[in-house]
Amino acid sequence: MSLVNLDFAEELKEYSGDTALECFNCGTCAAICPLVNDNFPRRMIRYIQVGAREKILENSDELWRCLHCGLCTHTCPREADPGEIILGLKRFVLANWRKS
Amino acid sequence: MFNPRDIIEILAANVRQTKSPFGIPKFMVNTWYKDHSLPKEGEYLLFTGLMYQFSPFIETSTQYLEKYEDTKTADYLKYAKWVPGYISGMGLAMMTKGKEKRKAGQPLKNIAYLLQKSKVNFGYRPDLDNYSGILLYDMGDQKGFVAHAKKVAQKLKNAGIKKIITTDPHTAYALKELFPKYTGISFDVKPYFELLNFEPKDCGLEVTLHDPCFFGRYLKASDITRKQLSNMGISVTNIRNQGEFTSCCGGPAESISPSLSNEIMDKRATELEEPGKPIIAYCPICLGNLKKSGAAVEDLSTLLARHA
Repeated sequence: MSLVNLDFAEELKEYSGDTALECFNCGTCAAICPLVNDNFPRRMIRYIQVGAREKILENSDELWRCLHCGLCTHTCPREADPGEIILGLKRFVLANWRKS
Repeated sequence: MFNPRDIIEILAANVRQTKSPFGIPKFMVNTWYKDHSLPKEGEYLLFTGLMYQFSPFIETSTQYLEKYEDTKTADYLKYAKWVPGYISGMGLAMMTKGKEKRKAGQPLKNIAYLLQKSKVNFGYRPDLDNYSGILLYDMGDQKGFVAHAKKVAQKLKNAGIKKIITTDPHTAYALKELFPKYTGISFDVKPYFELLNFEPKDCGLEVTLHDPCFFGRYLKASDITRKQLSNMGISVTNIRNQGEFTSCCGGPAESISPSLSNEIMDKRATELEEPGKPIIAYCPICLGNLKKSGAAVEDLSTLLARHA
């Protein structure tokens, strides 16, 4: 079971912009991503929206499969900038690793 | 897949200690200019960011990573960060074939030739030519990137540099977009192909162009290369994923997961080979990765230098 952290989006602002809440989960990013892998990056963005901080830390290795190619950002209809969100999550996870 | 933390900490320690993600001393990496008499001063500074020079070392390290990915040996990688950067770097340099190291400098020699032929007023200062730190940025090591970028930018500023010519998309993006944002220091940055100026020709060739993500999408520079090629009478085939919608070569994943990188690379190579025309890349990472797939690919600078 994982707990929901309602302040997670706020905590993330230190590492990236706050565009995750713009996302309406259409899945364009997951469809166009060259990884074509288990709803990436949509699932990660959903975790931010619902405050599933621990889920992100549990699945953090997945973030480094991202090629930072920018296709998701280029095609996002909400301009939520999924590529930058993933980069921000990498920063957040790395900072947590280094603190631990 | 390797543990990302192990890879990041090795790269970060190397950049901190040696200013290079691979730990190889600069005098062993940057040698392409030695048999050229390039001016030191000029309106523009030619800045390679050492990316073309790194490509043979990337190839060697990827070969080893491929061997150990998802094996028990991969767990020992976490101890590599305790090895001083210069020692692991010297080891990597010695394991890399001399022929490959010499070949890696050829695109830069071509670029210098093309700029001179276009009468661009530029100089080259090996002492100012440093790695931009872009890999740390891409990996999420923001602190490491900013600390390194500040040193590189400050050195350029202290030397009075205002205008810069870049040779690869990753360095171009770092200098053009990231340096102003994170170091507060800005330069007028242009990719080399933007400054080329030749008499129109009719080479009667057709090629398939692989736009790198950072030139095609992030910096929106793919029209410039097409104009240069068109001016020489070289047409570009239409493929599904090109320009702003180009598809990744898989290169960025090669340190974390060589198998994933190969999967993406094979898909892209198949797409590029479909029209049956020579494939042209304009990024050292894409060039190295597509070559690895067995595709007949050459650098844009090689094609241009042959026909200019």
